[in-house]
Amino acid sequence: MNLSKSLLIIAAFIFTISCDTNNTNDEIATPESYEFTRDGQSTVSFSGQTTRIKMATELSVAMTDFDNSTEELLLEMYRNQTANGGDANPYSDPDLNAATKSVKSKVAASTDFYSSNTATSVELKNQFETWISAQVNEVFPNQNVEAQPGIAGQIADGTSTRYVSAKGFEYNQMLAKGLIGALMTDQILNNYVSVSVLDAGTNVEDNNNEVVVDGTAYTNMEHNWDEAFGYLYGNSSNTANPNLTIGQDDSFLNAYVGSVESDEDFAGIAQIIFDAFALGRAAIVEGDYELRDEQAEILRTQISTIIGIRAVYYLQLGKTVLEQANPDFGTAFSDLSEGFGFVYSLQFTRQPGTGQPYFTKAEVDGFISLLEAGNGLWDVTPQTLQDISVDIASKFNFTIEEASN
Amino acid sequence: MKRYLLLFLSVSLLISSCKETNPSGPDPDDFDRKAILENWADNIIIPALTNFSEKTESLKTAGNNFAENPGQKALESLRDEWKAGYLALQHVSMFETPKTMEIRFRNNLNIYPVDTAEVKENIGQGDYNLNLPSEIDQQGFPALDYLLYGLAESDTEILAFYNSGNEASAYKEYVLDLVTRIDSLTDVVLNDWNSGYRDEFINNSGNGANSSIDMMVNDYIFYYEKNLRAGKIGIPAGVFSGTPLPQNVEGVYSREFSKELFLESLTATQNFFNGKHFNSETTGLSLSDYLDFLNTIKNGTDLTQLINQQFEESRIKAQNLNSSFTDQIETDNSLMLQTYDELQKNVILLKVDMLQALNINVDYVDADGD
Repeated sequence: MNLSKSLLIIAAFIFTISCDTNNTNDEIATPESYEFTRDGQSTVSFSGQTTRIKMATELSVAMTDFDNSTEELLLEMYRNQTANGGDANPYSDPDLNAATKSVKSKVAASTDFYSSNTATSVELKNQFETWISAQVNEVFPNQNVEAQPGIAGQIADGTSTRYVSAKGFEYNQMLAKGLIGALMTDQILNNYVSVSVLDAGTNVEDNNNEVVVDGTAYTNMEHNWDEAFGYLYGNSSNTANPNLTIGQDDSFLNAYVGSVESDEDFAGIAQIIFDAFALGRAAIVEGDYELRDEQAEILRTQISTIIGIRAVYYLQLGKTVLEQANPDFGTAFSDLSEGFGFVYSLQFTRQPGTGQPYFTKAEVDGFISLLEAGNGLWDVTPQTLQDISVDIASKFNFTIEEASN
Repeated sequence: MKRYLLLFLSVSLLISSCKETNPSGPDPDDFDRKAILENWADNIIIPALTNFSEKTESLKTAGNNFAENPGQKALESLRDEWKAGYLALQHVSMFETPKTMEIRFRNNLNIYPVDTAEVKENIGQGDYNLNLPSEIDQQGFPALDYLLYGLAESDTEILAFYNSGNEASAYKEYVLDLVTRIDSLTDVVLNDWNSGYRDEFINNSGNGANSSIDMMVNDYIFYYEKNLRAGKIGIPAGVFSGTPLPQNVEGVYSREFSKELFLESLTATQNFFNGKHFNSETTGLSLSDYLDFLNTIKNGTDLTQLINQQFEESRIKAQNLNSSFTDQIETDNSLMLQTYDELQKNVILLKVDMLQALNINVDYVDADGD
């Protein structure tokens, strides 16, 4: 274990100790599994999040299905609506077709960041539609063209084939990794663990008096916290103990918590995140909202850190390839397209104790303009990738070496 | 997602626990690296490539003869040239240059399993472009394997594809395109060596990451690990998938040939390590001499000796295998797994112990496939 990691855990520990002494709630232990009941009935529910993860999964796979995907179909998968707002059935899973939820409605849609910033919310929601349309209109027609600077097409990545834009980007990767920020991270950190949502309306009073939502066994506040939990663990095969399969349950946030956990520099982070979810939920059951909010801040720190680490990780992978004497551009482009998605996702992170992301939209747009300049990834230099990596790492508690090895 | 194999940290940890080289021993920089490069280029790589290009030329001729008159005799002669070429390929496949990487030489000649559905679609529609990265599994020796052995059970039925029906000329055309492309790609690589790259290669005799030795040794170990150990044995034996994949054997349609291809490749990698001249009993300078110069000892034994012993152990284990790995996997896969285990032991000796002694860093990335 490295120094900064140890410090982090010690800091978290001290944090917990001090709150315990302040609040006489030392009887609230961190539950080992995410199971909560009322009168013998489970109060845990996050089916809406599971649904959205599955919708996003189908969309992300369909992005490279050259034979069957159309612009109309992909947009319907994103909106779960037809172009004129009618009911759509774009998914292969009939349960998803029957659902009324959609990916798009929860993209850049958090209460804290976007409820009074709808212009930006709309812009960010539409960005994903721009990538979808470009995939179909720019990349699909060039499926059997060799990619070159300024020309979309296919490019070899070892024995794999990648399909890239005229600037060398894989729109499918940008979309998938962008959703990790715009959907999962934003909904968790800036919506469902936020005081503005948890304490909305009569939630506190209802939770104190165990007034449950009609037809359910849970209070509104309990359910809100579970919805945050569901955006990370909602597709897990064991939602009570999701760390048993962390990394394997989706190709979004769960996948990358698993990736970071498997880097020995950050081993333990998956447990820290799970514990914060579990203790926060237990605190809600006990009506200890201060303890709850402390767990929310831990989630903000740790989940934001996951995004930061993966952004630097992919930028460094791409940089290392581009530095070789005979760079395999296809490999670099694939890494950097994933990196782009994580860089994009930084604007949905949340600095604990503030209402701000680690990087503002303007800062993220600045990074993106460096990656997209000229012929994009065909032109980008290792130095630019290093500069962006340095900027990102400087805001977090990890080094470039820790993120990239 | 991608994962890096740049495991400096774990490599150095492993080394510190198992290597006993005297730190004050000979300096790698004192060895005449250029002499190794000369031996590799002049006595191994260029002769092996020259031999291979003669084989691909004969393959092209046999393909032309077959296309002109697709009878039993022409089929057998084309099969013979295909086999001879496939064996000769095992002696050049490991060697990468900027040119081979640019034209993706190995991937265009020998990605298997062949995608038979795409091959048939290409033949049926005629709109293929074998330059495309997405078509690497529709060409080269594996596609010929399918077209010469795998179209049907009997030779009579196979020949019918080339003699009757409205696609007969398209089948012949595809075989011609494949043999022509194999030959022309090979010429590109050989001509590059003969028209300046040889001197460039030999003169780049420093010890940085972009020096000839560092790059060639990395490519060599990559080949040993990915193409020999994994491709020929591990993947079809199910080491990575959990389930055996007998259809993923090299030369699967010819059925009797996979073991021979594997042993040829094993011999070629061992010969390179020892600096053995192509098609000769003479040996010159190579990695074995470099390690001997550095007096590299592991657990009390000379590392060169350990590596050669391990090559022999792998060969001995493989001798028990059926000449068809497909049959071997389907009857007793454990022998395949045992062969894999012996091959794996040399990955450690080559990639960890040898690279540490030679002060070379692993430079390649491992795609995990998404």
